[in-house]
Amino acid sequence: METLFLSGCSLLLLACVLPFIARITPGKTARRIALFVLLSGLACITTASLICFLSGAECIRLLYSLTPELVFDIHFDSLSSFFISLIGFVSFCTALYSFNYIEHGGTEKRRLVLTALLPLFILSMIMVVAADNMFGFLFFWEIMSISSFLLMMYDREKAETQKAGIFYFVMTQFGTLFLFIAFLLIYRYTNTFDIKATDALPQVVKSFAFIAIFIGFGTKAGIIPFHKWLPYAHSVAPSNVSALMSGVMLKVAIYGLCRFAFDVLQPELWWGFVLLAFGTVSALLGVIYALKEHDLKKLLAYHSIENIGIIVVGLGLYVIFNYYGLEIPANLSLVGALFHTLNHAVFKSLLFMTAGSVVQATGTRNIEKMGGLVKKMPVTAVLFLIGSCAISALPPLNGFASEIMIFQAYLESFELNNPVVEIVMVIGLAAFALMSALAAACFVKAFGVVFLAKPRSREAGKAREVSFGMLAGPAILALTCIVLGVFSFQIISGIGFDLPVPNMLPVSILLLLIILIFAGLLKLFHAPVRISETWGCGIAKQTPAMEYTATGFSEPIVTIFRLIFRTKKSNEKEYFDSAESITKRTEAKITTFKFFEERIYMPLAHLFMKIAAFISQKHNKDLETFMVYAFVTIVLLLVTAGFWL
Amino acid sequence: MNWNMILYTVLNTTFVFLFAPLIVSLIKKVKAMCQGRRGTPLLQTYFQLFKLFKKEIVYSDNSSFIMRISPYLNIAFLLVASIFIPIVFIPAQESGFGNIILFLYLMVCARFFMALSGLDAGSTFGNMGSSREMTIASIIEPTTLMACAALAFILKTTDIPEMFGTVLSGSILQYPTLFLVASSLFIILIVETARVPVDNPETHLELTMVHEAMILEQSGPKLALMELSYGIKQLILMAFLINILFPWGMATDTTLSGILISVASFIIKALLLAVAMGVFESFFAKIRFFRLPDFFMIAFFLSFVTIVFELLS
Repeated sequence: METLFLSGCSLLLLACVLPFIARITPGKTARRIALFVLLSGLACITTASLICFLSGAECIRLLYSLTPELVFDIHFDSLSSFFISLIGFVSFCTALYSFNYIEHGGTEKRRLVLTALLPLFILSMIMVVAADNMFGFLFFWEIMSISSFLLMMYDREKAETQKAGIFYFVMTQFGTLFLFIAFLLIYRYTNTFDIKATDALPQVVKSFAFIAIFIGFGTKAGIIPFHKWLPYAHSVAPSNVSALMSGVMLKVAIYGLCRFAFDVLQPELWWGFVLLAFGTVSALLGVIYALKEHDLKKLLAYHSIENIGIIVVGLGLYVIFNYYGLEIPANLSLVGALFHTLNHAVFKSLLFMTAGSVVQATGTRNIEKMGGLVKKMPVTAVLFLIGSCAISALPPLNGFASEIMIFQAYLESFELNNPVVEIVMVIGLAAFALMSALAAACFVKAFGVVFLAKPRSREAGKAREVSFGMLAGPAILALTCIVLGVFSFQIISGIGFDLPVPNMLPVSILLLLIILIFAGLLKLFHAPVRISETWGCGIAKQTPAMEYTATGFSEPIVTIFRLIFRTKKSNEKEYFDSAESITKRTEAKITTFKFFEERIYMPLAHLFMKIAAFISQKHNKDLETFMVYAFVTIVLLLVTAGFWL
Repeated sequence: MNWNMILYTVLNTTFVFLFAPLIVSLIKKVKAMCQGRRGTPLLQTYFQLFKLFKKEIVYSDNSSFIMRISPYLNIAFLLVASIFIPIVFIPAQESGFGNIILFLYLMVCARFFMALSGLDAGSTFGNMGSSREMTIASIIEPTTLMACAALAFILKTTDIPEMFGTVLSGSILQYPTLFLVASSLFIILIVETARVPVDNPETHLELTMVHEAMILEQSGPKLALMELSYGIKQLILMAFLINILFPWGMATDTTLSGILISVASFIIKALLLAVAMGVFESFFAKIRFFRLPDFFMIAFFLSFVTIVFELLS
């Protein structure tokens, strides 16, 4: 197993350098070869980890030892092999999609860099999950952050990309800082960098370690309020990169959270409530912000925040139920959270890739300028529809299969016998249901405005279906959505969990049967079909301008939730005369207030800018001052060293 | 799937399928009589469906496959959902059909595709209907879930046939809080079936419609399927309310007499509820769209209070 896995990893490494070695050949061939190597490497890795996961075998291998403490090694248990299978599989489909996708846009040189960085990014994510040492974990974690940052900056000339890049880079380093703190705290008490269960930490330190872990991984996963980089970064990145970032990289953070909070440190009850609260807020605000979004990729990015919220809710419920010793709800929520991790990876990368095809075909990310694409790009439309159904938690697809487990866990909280906790659960349940319903509304909007009715712009009217390569990757994922949903009960019992979830197979068979019966009946009747125009109360010609826009569609919901959006409608008028009868100028505006950006991020940034300005003032001095600085530093160092040693 | 389950599935869906249009006409009749009119005959909905099945289908030239498949999906999702609500007899527990969440989400599925088909033709009416429908859905669903949670807390199960069985074997007086949930279920019933305080199915202005506006572009047999699925949705939600409160007469085994008694008793109860709904509708005027959340909050509050009662007792 280890051999297969390691040969897969070396193939990935080979794929990183190939585009540069093979510079003599035409770039396209070099990229193709590199991607083929990447595909075969991923196939090896996925097979190896799936076998590990299904057989329950553990494999441990030391790779390289820097010092006895700082080593690179790999360790597969069922949790890490599950995540590696997920990463491998989704990356495989993304790589398949990349074959044709990377040939559009950008310069020749940049495409080569993109091809080279893609395997590095995937490899680093796999190695983070495989690492059995905090040093190795952090090393690959940083490679993952930097390679994803470079991939994201593909269109680096655009101001939008630069803004997103700064947000992403600062936020990701902010998160890593907290990881450093957490790991050093753990090291301080265990004297080892190995990732293994410990109870050596005193109560207070353990709590601090948890907070640091939560902030560190929460930033990477995009839990509100650490989410702001996510919509910016995902929308400007090339679509295959956004598929990987949203589908896979966020899951690596979830892995870290599971590993360090649940495995290394034993969870306490209040952690559960923290996870539940932040998860619920992320899920709800994520979808509410998504409803307002007109940028197709930003909309999907906000849905990533929502789905990460769902996963974190599941993890929080697990901690709470586990504390009260209720085995079935605890297992339901943990398996539900992990299953949703897999499902979100599958349908979100599917959606990002099909959205990428749409963006490429129409040349815009603004959904108000799309429309009518179902006729131009029928296969993409069907694939996007399957993804939309899955993310809206419609049975019998996979999104529902995992969300029902969390619902079921919530509903079983009547066994808790603790009124206060139960009330909290009920409120959480209501928020969860609201989130789920809003997600469905948002995807009716997204699918309807992008694909249905008439094209709303000339570009959309000229769009053409993308090539086969860009359909194959998403098609595999769409099929997986269906299989994971319909056979969810069989899969869950297959891996050894006996949980009270409904069997979706008979439901799906009956659905299919009834559809076939009615379709057959109508065929028998031979109803005559006529194509005519849309009824418009006798209007002469229906134009796309008469259709509802995305803004119009979500307007009632925005009005109902105006407290959250903080929409302000203003209508200013200037008049020619004092009696205010002849208007000179009117200005009507609808603005939304970006709470997190304007109230938290920007004030913090300004604060740091001020501190930096203060320090740079002190830099601007003569030689004597600098000698004083040096003297003070040495004295301080000596005192500290003497105190410490 | 044993034979008992297959028999149940066939009988239950056939009954729902055949009986649903009658309830639609009955409510119309009651409303007409409240307004001092004679109203249409009770079998009018059947005639209407039959007429539609014979007509041609007209599609808009803007429309796509969504318009064509959504009637099939709608009726399929709702007929499968109807299996979750036992009417003819309560089947054995290990059936796999009965999870309350799955039941709700099957109805969400039907709504999802109906809203998409409203957007398909590019008609402003359909768009408006879909937009409003999804808005209403997103505020009523937490309420529905809350009512379901209340039921799960009271009856200690999430399986619908088991819920009916529990109430049937005990007495409604053992679970007085069920009446509170039932009132919120009644509000949910009104909302989900697009009735007067929320939506008016009989208005002559498309601008004020929600449900009817969405299916405006459907025609012929496809419209018939849409109308039929509306009737089915109404009937299964009524059956849910009826059987949670008064499951008297429901058979738990498969004897012919048992099935006949449960069907007969259900028909009587359903007719009474339909009359009540018709009368209720006649007493109300339509609420302004943005005042609807207040109306839903009543239902939400009732369910929440039930849960609090249940927890403290």
